[in-house]
Amino acid sequence: MNRRAILVFMLDRPGVLNKVSMLIRKKMYNVDTLTVCSSRVAGISRMTITLQEDDQAKVTQIIKQLEKFTEVISAKELDTDHSYWREVAIVKLEVDSAHLESFRGRYNFEVLDQKGGDIHILQVAGATGRIDTFLDEVGRQYIIEIARTGVTALEK
Amino acid sequence: MTGKKLLLQALKENGVQYIFGYTGGAIMPIFDEMDKMGDFHFVMSRHEQGAAFMAQGVSRASLSSNTPQIGVCMTTSGPGAMNLATGIADAHMDSVPIVAITGQVTTGVIATDAFQESDVIGVMMPICKQTYMPLAAEEVEVTVHEAFYVATTGRGGPIVIDIPKDVQNQSVSSEYSFDTKNFRPTLPGFYYHPTPEREPLRRAIEMINRSLRPVLFCGHGVINSNSGALLQQFAEKVNIPIAFTLHGLSALPADHPLSLGMMGMHGTVEANRTIMEADLLISFGMRFDDRVTGRLSEYAQHADVIHVEIDPSEIDKNVACSVAINADVYRTLHVLLGDPMLTFKPRRRWFEKIDGFRQVMAEDLRREIDGGVGDNGRLLMKSIIHRLSELTEGKDLIVPDVGMHQMMAARFYNYQTTNSWFASGGAGTMGASLPMAIGVKLARPAERVWSISGDGGFQMNIQELGTIMEQQLDVKIILLNNGHLGMVRQWQTLFFDGRYAGTPMQSPNFGLIAEAYNIPYRKVDKPEEVASALQQAIEHQGPIMLEFICDASEVILPMIPSDGGFNDMIVKRPKRKKPPATSDGKGEKS
Ligand SMILES: Cc1ncc(C[n+]2csc(CCOP(=O)(O)OP(=O)(O)O)c2C)c(N)n1
Repeated sequence: MNRRAILVFMLDRPGVLNKVSMLIRKKMYNVDTLTVCSSRVAGISRMTITLQEDDQAKVTQIIKQLEKFTEVISAKELDTDHSYWREVAIVKLEVDSAHLESFRGRYNFEVLDQKGGDIHILQVAGATGRIDTFLDEVGRQYIIEIARTGVTALEK
Repeated sequence: MTGKKLLLQALKENGVQYIFGYTGGAIMPIFDEMDKMGDFHFVMSRHEQGAAFMAQGVSRASLSSNTPQIGVCMTTSGPGAMNLATGIADAHMDSVPIVAITGQVTTGVIATDAFQESDVIGVMMPICKQTYMPLAAEEVEVTVHEAFYVATTGRGGPIVIDIPKDVQNQSVSSEYSFDTKNFRPTLPGFYYHPTPEREPLRRAIEMINRSLRPVLFCGHGVINSNSGALLQQFAEKVNIPIAFTLHGLSALPADHPLSLGMMGMHGTVEANRTIMEADLLISFGMRFDDRVTGRLSEYAQHADVIHVEIDPSEIDKNVACSVAINADVYRTLHVLLGDPMLTFKPRRRWFEKIDGFRQVMAEDLRREIDGGVGDNGRLLMKSIIHRLSELTEGKDLIVPDVGMHQMMAARFYNYQTTNSWFASGGAGTMGASLPMAIGVKLARPAERVWSISGDGGFQMNIQELGTIMEQQLDVKIILLNNGHLGMVRQWQTLFFDGRYAGTPMQSPNFGLIAEAYNIPYRKVDKPEEVASALQQAIEHQGPIMLEFICDASEVILPMIPSDGGFNDMIVKRPKRKKPPATSDGKGEKS
């Protein structure tokens, strides 16, 4: 299935997030990630939703349903050619430093903490796929815990 | 100035005359203030659900008139608010603007599971157009004005304002001011697009002129934008037949030569067959719901679709269209009518074909209507409705409940008065009729109002007889008693081999009930008495109740099964394999 991203600008009013999540449940959309932050303008938030959907009609319908909320100022689909989609992962790994260091340069990660020799806490930023390959290459069996922010996106 | 005063003042400024409701701890300050002000006609319902339907009655009956009014209902917190929910969800499904005001526990104890606290916003959010909870007296006025704006702008819908008790009593600060006259809500994201764009209009006109087998659809949006007369003119100008959705009924005279009657599950053969064979659907203010389309894969396979609709999220939702006109129906028709390119076409072959469709069931229906009784000698609903239509010349206001009698009233009353049909459609809420008729009567006092129910739905809000008695409202009540939940029974007859699970029902002596509420009552079980009883109700000043003992085995046809397509339309009653499993008319022992 295709991954799609929808960027929404909305008034920062109580209950808006509730409405969006209820819509997702009610209409049974296949949402992967949902992130919210404040925008450049005070009182207006921006939300990035990513979901798995091949059916264009369904994506259009989601956008129309979002736009129907009085709090939503605009909603539109972003495609990968014309926008950046990025996320951040924080990973706790049990792995030896030399192994990690072999990825330096190829991947953009930062060691936040190193405890008791082999326990590392890393921060990796980038496109979802890029983070996935990094983790694959390092070896997912070494992961003790992982936190990912979900995707946020910006148009070019 | 206090929150409660500002709230009531804002209601007044929005033209509110009637407040329907039920008091309780968390709303007492507003009730008290309302009583002191003396500016409103308060109607106490006997259950909060009734108050929501009464409010709907006012809005539905008046909004497209010269004296529009929004129905308002008001209840206490917790159970009071929860009892409103069904009526709110119903208004949401049918795009009816109402404003519901619920008291809430004081802000200091919110989220502590205080006595009669419930998460009203959380419950109502998915079943209404917008919710508000003002947290300071200063927020009250702006909230109410915005609520009325949102309720009525674009596609209508219900609004819930949940107002904590301390906010009702709170005084505004001395610097507070509010300019009602120049108030415009700040809603940068509120999308409302009433004016049609040129390009889609041009393409629509081209398609209409080119079409050999077009059909017009008249939906709720035609009523809401008061465009019935325009649609009629348009249909006559281009010579295209019109099919109605359930909510489009009464937009223009039902017996207009171009009218095909209602479409969909229990629509007429002529409407449904015409749609099946059409090459173009031109739909105004409707949403192609499943009761209208049947199985989508088989729906109007030869037709292009022009969809005129105020709510953009309805366009391409169920049925993909070739031309989308996201605009107000009235403005669109107005522009279309002024366009010199539109041409009249005789479409002789098309109308000949449609005349054929009209004959498919005509004979059967005429026989039933003229006979007036079923095989067991009991009355037929369709015949009663037909008689009512004749005696009132199709001019009265009809408020059906939900079920078989509703479909009979949709099909066999000859609507002549614009906006004279008020039904719970999208939600199909049994019990809607009696309270909704109360609101309709208050909004249109000069017209005769008929509440028509089955024995099931009537007993869902039977307590509102108390409201009718107290308000001395001239509502004519027709109870079509077939001793069963008739509509469900029909499904059981057709699709469950005649096993009548949970549909036979015993009823009380309705005559004694009517008497207890001081409402004149007459029971009719002979066909020759139908007309005289109806005439008696017409002549009687004030409320009156007629109970007709009906044939439980009557069916409403045609019918498109709920998982079927238009090709599966049932037009003939299936031969009964065995006698009915339960005795008919259990509820008639009175
Ligand atoms: C509140 C509610 N509960 C259940 C239903 C399902 N339902 C639809 S029609 C119907 C039967 C209605 O029976 P009655 O009121 O006697 O009217 P009739 O069909 O006999 O005319 C039922 C149970 C409903 N629409 N609303």
